[in-house]
Amino acid sequence: MRFFSFMGILLLFCMLSFAQSKQVTGKVTDQRDGSPLPGVTIKVKGLKEGTVTNADGVFKLNVEPGASTLIFSFVGYADQEVPVSGRSTINVALGGSTKDISEVVVVGYGTQLKRDVTGSIAKINAKEIEDIPVPSFEQAIQGKAAGVVIESGSGKVGQGIKVRIRGTSSISASSQPLYIVDGMPVESSLQSDANNEVTNPLVDINPNDIESVEVLKDASASAIYGARASNGVVLVTTKKGKLNQKTIFNLDVNTSWAKPTKKRGFLNAKEYIDLIHEAAVNDGKTDFANGDTGYGTEQEAIDDYTKMYDSDILDYYSLGTDWRNLAVNTNWEDQVYRDVARSNQVNLSATGGNEKTRFFVSGFYSGQDAIVINNRFTRYGARLSLDHQATEKLNIGINMSVNRSQLDRVTDDNSFSTPGQLVAQVPISPLIDPETGKPNARTLYDNGLLDALYDTDKQITFRTLGNVYASYQFLPWLNFRSEVGTDIVNMNEDYFKSKLSQDGAGIGKGQSINAQSISLNTNNFFTINPELGGKHKLSMVLGMSYLQNDNRSASIQAEGYPSDAVKNLSGATTVTFGSSENYKYTFLSYFFRANYSYNEKYLAGFSIRADGSSRFGPDNRYGVFPAGSLGWVISQEDFLKESKALSFLKLRASAGLTGNAEIGESRFLSLYNITNYPNLPGFQPKTIGNPDLKWEKTVQVDAGLEFGFINNRISGEIDVYKKNTTDLLLSVNIPLTTGYASIYRNLGKMENKGIEFSLTTRNLEGEFKWNTTFNIAYNKNKITDLQGQIINTGSQRAVEGEAIGSFYLPKFAGADPQTGVALYLDSSGKTTTEFSKAPKMVVGNSNPDFTGGFTNNFSYKGFDLSVFFTFVNGNSIYNGAGIYQTTGFANGLDNQTRDILNRWQKPGDITNVPKVGYYYGTGAEATSRYIYNGSYIRLKNVTLSYNLPKRAMSALKIQGIKVYVAGYNLWTKTDYLSDPEVNTAPLASESNTSTNTSGGVDFYTIPQARTFTAGVNIRF
Amino acid sequence: MKITKYIIHASLGLMLIAGNGCNKKLDVLPQQQITPEQITTGEDVKAVLFGSYSALQHFNSYGERNLFVADLLAGDEQLKWVGTFVNYRQVFQKRQDKTLSIAEGMWGRAYIAIAGVNTVLEKISVVDTSEQKSIAAEAKFIRGIVYFDLVNFFGQPYSAGNTTTNEAVPLILESVGTYVPDRDNKPRASVENVYKQVIQDLTDAAAGLPESNDDGRANKYSALAFLARVYMNQGKYAEAATAANEVITNGGFNLESTIEKAFNNIAASSEDIFIIQQTTQSNAGTSNNGMTTFYAAKPVGRGDAQILPAFLDRYEDNDTRKAFVYSGVSITGAPGTYTGKFKDLYKAIPIVRLSEVILTRAEANFRKGGAPVGGVTPLEDINEVRSRAKATPLLVVTSNDFADERFRELAFEGDRLWTVKRLKLKVGNLNYNDPKLVLPVPQSERDVNPNLSQNQGY
Repeated sequence: MRFFSFMGILLLFCMLSFAQSKQVTGKVTDQRDGSPLPGVTIKVKGLKEGTVTNADGVFKLNVEPGASTLIFSFVGYADQEVPVSGRSTINVALGGSTKDISEVVVVGYGTQLKRDVTGSIAKINAKEIEDIPVPSFEQAIQGKAAGVVIESGSGKVGQGIKVRIRGTSSISASSQPLYIVDGMPVESSLQSDANNEVTNPLVDINPNDIESVEVLKDASASAIYGARASNGVVLVTTKKGKLNQKTIFNLDVNTSWAKPTKKRGFLNAKEYIDLIHEAAVNDGKTDFANGDTGYGTEQEAIDDYTKMYDSDILDYYSLGTDWRNLAVNTNWEDQVYRDVARSNQVNLSATGGNEKTRFFVSGFYSGQDAIVINNRFTRYGARLSLDHQATEKLNIGINMSVNRSQLDRVTDDNSFSTPGQLVAQVPISPLIDPETGKPNARTLYDNGLLDALYDTDKQITFRTLGNVYASYQFLPWLNFRSEVGTDIVNMNEDYFKSKLSQDGAGIGKGQSINAQSISLNTNNFFTINPELGGKHKLSMVLGMSYLQNDNRSASIQAEGYPSDAVKNLSGATTVTFGSSENYKYTFLSYFFRANYSYNEKYLAGFSIRADGSSRFGPDNRYGVFPAGSLGWVISQEDFLKESKALSFLKLRASAGLTGNAEIGESRFLSLYNITNYPNLPGFQPKTIGNPDLKWEKTVQVDAGLEFGFINNRISGEIDVYKKNTTDLLLSVNIPLTTGYASIYRNLGKMENKGIEFSLTTRNLEGEFKWNTTFNIAYNKNKITDLQGQIINTGSQRAVEGEAIGSFYLPKFAGADPQTGVALYLDSSGKTTTEFSKAPKMVVGNSNPDFTGGFTNNFSYKGFDLSVFFTFVNGNSIYNGAGIYQTTGFANGLDNQTRDILNRWQKPGDITNVPKVGYYYGTGAEATSRYIYNGSYIRLKNVTLSYNLPKRAMSALKIQGIKVYVAGYNLWTKTDYLSDPEVNTAPLASESNTSTNTSGGVDFYTIPQARTFTAGVNIRF
Repeated sequence: MKITKYIIHASLGLMLIAGNGCNKKLDVLPQQQITPEQITTGEDVKAVLFGSYSALQHFNSYGERNLFVADLLAGDEQLKWVGTFVNYRQVFQKRQDKTLSIAEGMWGRAYIAIAGVNTVLEKISVVDTSEQKSIAAEAKFIRGIVYFDLVNFFGQPYSAGNTTTNEAVPLILESVGTYVPDRDNKPRASVENVYKQVIQDLTDAAAGLPESNDDGRANKYSALAFLARVYMNQGKYAEAATAANEVITNGGFNLESTIEKAFNNIAASSEDIFIIQQTTQSNAGTSNNGMTTFYAAKPVGRGDAQILPAFLDRYEDNDTRKAFVYSGVSITGAPGTYTGKFKDLYKAIPIVRLSEVILTRAEANFRKGGAPVGGVTPLEDINEVRSRAKATPLLVVTSNDFADERFRELAFEGDRLWTVKRLKLKVGNLNYNDPKLVLPVPQSERDVNPNLSQNQGY
């Protein structure tokens, strides 16, 4: 009975409010051309109900007398707030999508007005992600958000991408952010072949389906994700339909042409032959001077070496062609790349809704050739988003995408047959063996062109990402929402190495990997917005979340193929490896958040999350992660309210604790491996346990200032932060004599501190518009305590007192002017020719000091022009292949980069390039010689688009046509000898430790692509 | 209102129930490994023993480096390294430094094998009583040979004297459950003490092991053959001759009819006394590691180690061992000559062959003087090995003949360096006790264990 009376009161309340309201009408038009805009949402500020404009852009809305402001919002346009001021007709012209201070941002388990946010959140809108010719959305947001550093390691497609939010905050645990798609955490660890380069599981999310990306940077924003939030959180929200909107179709088709941004340049046949002869002369002289062989005269030695090199090197690799007359002059570097790499993308979506149901469906295809041969990425799939208001109180919905992607590639960067290493082949080697008429199999290194011709490596991923939800509005102030989501990744990778290729070793080899990762996640939470009356506003979220992941994989290797006719393993005769694995993890979490504001002036937020994880022992399973924040909207104060110049000013500060547990499974346990000595299956000590292992903790404090001047024509924010990570989850070396190599311990401290600044200005308004956005971030990392541990990974290391990513190499000191021999700095700072006397020292760091982006948007009539620069500053790049490419044969007969032409040749030459020599080479070791300044500024993107006038369209019943052309990586300024966006991806089998401590290494890395795109977008 | 309340209670309840149910789900056991608590039966303990065999098969142990690194160090007169791996090249050129990854790998793998057998010895009581003695002996065999190779690679040779002051490696005789720095950061034991432990372990092993054993597992004669090596290094020729003679007379081994038949077999040949087994699924490496990978020409291997033409001049033309080579190219395209001993992948690797033990008995009998142990003269022994290879029998035997014959017979099997060291010969122009013929104590190990000294020259 009481229920009915409650309903009655509610009804009465509704009627009352109806009786007191008055109607406002108006028309919404496009600021650019004055054409009507259908489907624009109009709401009274602070209320949920609203309406949308009809096909003529006209709307009608009942508003209560107290309602002061209407909010107009439409996808692709900036929200606009218009004061009612007693009017009954309000006409509005919506403008371009300039970020506005009143926009809504997605936060964990809810949304907030940007105005009320007390944390540091960067938002990237759909427009900045769409139509960019890269497979995954992280690449598309590179340079767009201050403090988010995105490194796509090479110009290959589908490879792993390193993302760091406010620096690297761990050593042995992952430093990649947590990705949440529509409320569900997605699996971002890879599934593929552990001996190949890492791939990127996030490529399965179609960038064109994304409505917005929010990056939660500070603790108050991210701590609601507690234990997994130390590295920041990236919230991806996909597109949804709109209520009361007639169905709109959107077709986008584009095509691209790409080439490498830069080639290094290697010696031609003549230069190479001359250099070999110079090496013969140098080696002959050295041999004679040492008396090694016992030649009678120096000339005799030189003649003998020349003869030897002519026959053993030049005759041999030229395959008997007449190298003396330069019969062959092969540019192997050109063989690495396609003439033109082509890509095509098609996206078709439909969106709309009636008063109770709204939907978004899309289908997409993209096929993308990498600039490097044999590397291609294709993806197709579909997405459905459906929301339905079942009753006045109950909303249900589903959000689901299915996706198939295929990555074709050849072997990894470390293998001789990878196309990138073709540059090492010598220019006198012909492409075709004149004896056999087939591709040359007698090259200096395995001829990758043979592998490109015969071998395949195909990785096919099916991914279903979806969730269903029900949300029940118990009371106007109380809502309960339950979400269940799954992320199902099915990956199959097949490689085949033909017996005709060199990797096939004459017998043919194959491997098949099947991997399945199934995540199940559920979020159940109350949203509580009690009516406190007056100027108090309170919003709370209370709930729980459970995540389980089950990862199974099976791998088989076999060899002995009779021919290439059958490429799967049924064509092989001997199975050489077969195994299956299973990993599981679970997280159980409870969370609470409260946001309070007083008079829209004083803001406070608090959140707390308790997380339990299977990754820690029973005694240390749970971690509690609180965060708090305060905000003061100074512009709401009376003394500023009337200011014409200042439209918005907010000061905010936050502090909080987040955690990290991304260390893989079972690290707290002592474990024995299973071994397979023939007929004697056994156990072998593998890892030594640590029952005390617990969460890695990061305390972050942040202070920010948001401002808007002159009606927000100048707006921006500035943030300073400090992140202190303690109890680092560290894989600590222990004496191997124990039988174990390392133990996971909570040891050490690291800090990141920095400052971020972003600014948006609307320089010109009116018919000709010009907006500028600029962001810059500075981050300084320091390992403050490692208790004496030194963690080495190749040329880099992590050590107390230094920044992570430091290059640690002996210092190179040029060529001895008298002898041409390589010089190094010894411990007293003097030069020495003895490499073993040169201590290693910090000679650079792979992490930049400054990163940022700079965008200018111009629009005039239907034309839009966007010009976007990115830059990084203060980082070093280590050319790991330098010891082969420019040491004058000291490390083999590889063709040399052109800087070898500055080599030492005679006494008195002052140069950084030592003399050449094959048998008596010099300077073969890895030193600071191969460290370069990695700073760059790059014209990342220029897009010119033209919107055909709407008046012309309406006759065709088409809502809009946009044609566009774009160019990517058009211009770059850098001191580096190749493309500066370089980060040879570590192998999948390598640990987090090496991913965190290393970076900026170029090892035959494929440069980025310079791409031209042309496309058309039709809305109908 | 009631219904609303009811639903609120229900959803709160749902959350809590979900939470409680999930709490148990936080207990997730590893699916690929076992925890030490799961070692409870005799079969489990034997599995730990077999895990140490697997460690011996690793490329950082007898699967490759215990043999190949010795060959590279003593390589100057027999082979050249033409490969691209910088670490192996440094060893070949004797330019290795204290961060040499090879030294770290060998050191680490040895102690993994030791940790396994130490556990076996501690848990021996759960093994069936009828097997306790032989399983313990087998564990000691593995510990003995692993320490023997450790002392050889990381310490100055026994022949260099000062055995009580020259340092070798830490002696770890107990397994470690957790890491306790004060207890586990052990200093290096002297060469003398490591030898003592090796002799103790191998003597116990010889006493407890069965006469024969399956699946490549050690038997009594495997232990005696290693003991003979130990005594030869120490110059204890009478003991060496006795151990070798025991293997020859009672072991039931026979030389194969040709040298070819002694290699590239899927299991032990009749002359193999101890082998490392390999199969397609269990081996020391096929592309970047393994004896075949380095010693076999492309495309089976990388072909990184080629025989110097001058080395083949040490054989008579009719010696079949001279012909046990083939021509090929390396992975970098360098043409050269390759040994036939490791031509194929996935084959057993002979660690001790009967011909070595015969040559040991010959030399030990010769050097000790007096009546030969076993009643066979040194000349007869050496000629038995030579005649199998169709080499002309010697008429008289002199001191140098033993080393020369070992170099010919045991070439590329990792013997040369130890023969050079115990007889104080030279490698190129380096003396037998040159610091660069001893591997560095891994720098990474010294970084975590301050009690470790470094070898001279690093």
